[in-house]
Amino acid sequence: MTITRRSVWRVLSCVAVLLAAQGCEKPADKTSAAKGDGGKPAALRIAVVPKGTTHEYWQSIHAGAKQAERELKGVEITFRGPQKEDDRDQQVSLVETLVSSKYDAIVLAPLDSRALLAPVRMARAAKIPVVIMDSGLDGTVGEDFISYIATDNKAGGAMAGKKLGELVGGKGKVLLLRYQEGSASTALREEGFVEAIRAFPGIELIDPKRYAGATRETAQQAAENLLTTHSDIAGVFCPNESSTYGMLLALRARNMAGKIPFIGFDSARELVDALAAGEVSALTVQNPIRMGYLSVKAAVDHIRGGTVEPLMDTGVALITKETMNTPEHKNLLSPDLKSLLGTP
Amino acid sequence: MTGSGGVRSALSSLAPALTLVAAVLLFWAIAPDRPLGLLDLRTILIQTVIVATVGLGMTLVIVSGGIDLSVGSAVALSGVVAAKVMNADLGPSAQSWQPALALLAACGAGALCGAYNGLLHTLLGLPAFIVTLGTLGFFRGAAKWISDSSPVYSKPGWLAEWVAPIPSVPWLVVAPAVWLLLALAVVAAVLMHRTVFGRHAVAIGSNEEAARRAGVPVRWVKLRVYAICGLCVGLAGVMQFARLGGSGDPTVQVGLELRAIAAVVIGGASLTGGTASIFGTLCGALLMALLDNRSTALGWPNYVQELLVGHIIIAAVALDRFRGRRFS
Repeated sequence: MTITRRSVWRVLSCVAVLLAAQGCEKPADKTSAAKGDGGKPAALRIAVVPKGTTHEYWQSIHAGAKQAERELKGVEITFRGPQKEDDRDQQVSLVETLVSSKYDAIVLAPLDSRALLAPVRMARAAKIPVVIMDSGLDGTVGEDFISYIATDNKAGGAMAGKKLGELVGGKGKVLLLRYQEGSASTALREEGFVEAIRAFPGIELIDPKRYAGATRETAQQAAENLLTTHSDIAGVFCPNESSTYGMLLALRARNMAGKIPFIGFDSARELVDALAAGEVSALTVQNPIRMGYLSVKAAVDHIRGGTVEPLMDTGVALITKETMNTPEHKNLLSPDLKSLLGTP
Repeated sequence: MTGSGGVRSALSSLAPALTLVAAVLLFWAIAPDRPLGLLDLRTILIQTVIVATVGLGMTLVIVSGGIDLSVGSAVALSGVVAAKVMNADLGPSAQSWQPALALLAACGAGALCGAYNGLLHTLLGLPAFIVTLGTLGFFRGAAKWISDSSPVYSKPGWLAEWVAPIPSVPWLVVAPAVWLLLALAVVAAVLMHRTVFGRHAVAIGSNEEAARRAGVPVRWVKLRVYAICGLCVGLAGVMQFARLGGSGDPTVQVGLELRAIAAVVIGGASLTGGTASIFGTLCGALLMALLDNRSTALGWPNYVQELLVGHIIIAAVALDRFRGRRFS
């Protein structure tokens, strides 16, 4: 049994070392707290947790958060997503770690309305305020989290559905490429779209419940498969950036881009170019910069003792080739992320 | 690895733990103002549980010269099975024992997945890499199929207590799942080093042909190795189910196989089989969770962590090659 005993001993010693490390670090904590930041009170550390870090949409949220950081003074933003895009388990772990790392507030776009509830409650137990943005959480606003700041996604989907119905002239087959299983915000857009399309009796909705998946690559594959089966469609709708881009690539490959009405959701440089080229008929866009900004501001206001609205809608706009150059829409479509993020 | 090599081998078996200690000290040096607190320790440990539980099974598979790429998908499948069982209407008296039933069902599902891998591997004589690459897709598909492609929401019951980072029973200090993991690690170490079955598995990993000639029932041992790995995976699936607040998510843990294999390799195992350490695997899994925790605490962007973990795995394998050359 020697090896067994040794193994146990090793595990225990390893835990002991971790505990010891923790024990002797406590004094360091005090001194640094006393020192502060060169006499000034330490900056508020606000963690902003998106669903992923690579989509331009989340980069815009980041830009909005940075804008709040610059304006509000004494605030330090940490932008960190789950290591793997759209991984619920990793987002749960991330929020737990942010709580144990004693961030002053957490702004979270939950990947799952239920799975993130336990870590958010852990934050509440540790007296760390949480602002929920973009997608809902099955908790109680004002109790589990201080505010819910998001786009009215169903209205956005309905707006796209109505427009697409008009563009195809109220008849023919309209294709819906869904985004991802269990994603609440895109499911609402899809729901709004489907309802709006049903209002056109002449339109047949092709909704094979195919999902684009998390990335542009998976979306492209799914779109290619769908277009192979349904080559006689009159119009297409996709509910987010990656599915829209994947569909655009597939339409181009089949020489269908620009020949049928195609409405996407969210914006990215390639999509804006496609809009200008007439390959995309319209883009339904949210205001992620405003969302990032308001979310951080809500967290800071709460900490500094101000009142915070429990619910905020950040709005959607339908942008076509004709309206894309108006200053208001231009800023929504292609915000100058580089200067907003403060990178050269 | 005996005789004069005793000291060296003792040192090399402690290497993963020393790496872990070095990492703790290094982070302390980088950021003395952000120390590891008790809550950090609790979250690091609970975040280690799933990878480490799978890692135990993976250690056994790797020591026998095999590999299992399907574990991430099988964890998702077992989690969905657990959620389905929790959603079954078994009457009001079921509340206390339904989570136990879900636990058993998920472990059973995991073991079946493992046995299926083992059967395909031994009966068809295909490389484990190919078989489990195939079942990686198959189990994921099965998980999506039985869950209707979206998370199955249910209640975790008392299973939620198991994975709560701060246990409701204060003297436990860390989540019950962590204690369960430690107990399992002891069982796995005994199984691997102190039983005929374990020694057979190691012998197969060292030299399959020699083991066969020495009368080791190679196929039977391998089949059990994969089934036991599956059992660990099933248990990890239950933990995953509980950690997601009682939802069986068919899309969760894509890429878990790579993290489990990394934990085993950082722990000093040789990917060609014959050498592996349960204790090393635990250290490997802890190290990755520690890096994750510290990168977040220090506010590093995601990619910094990926750059780091990538090279730690490479360093561990390089060390393994280096040791192999010296001892062979």
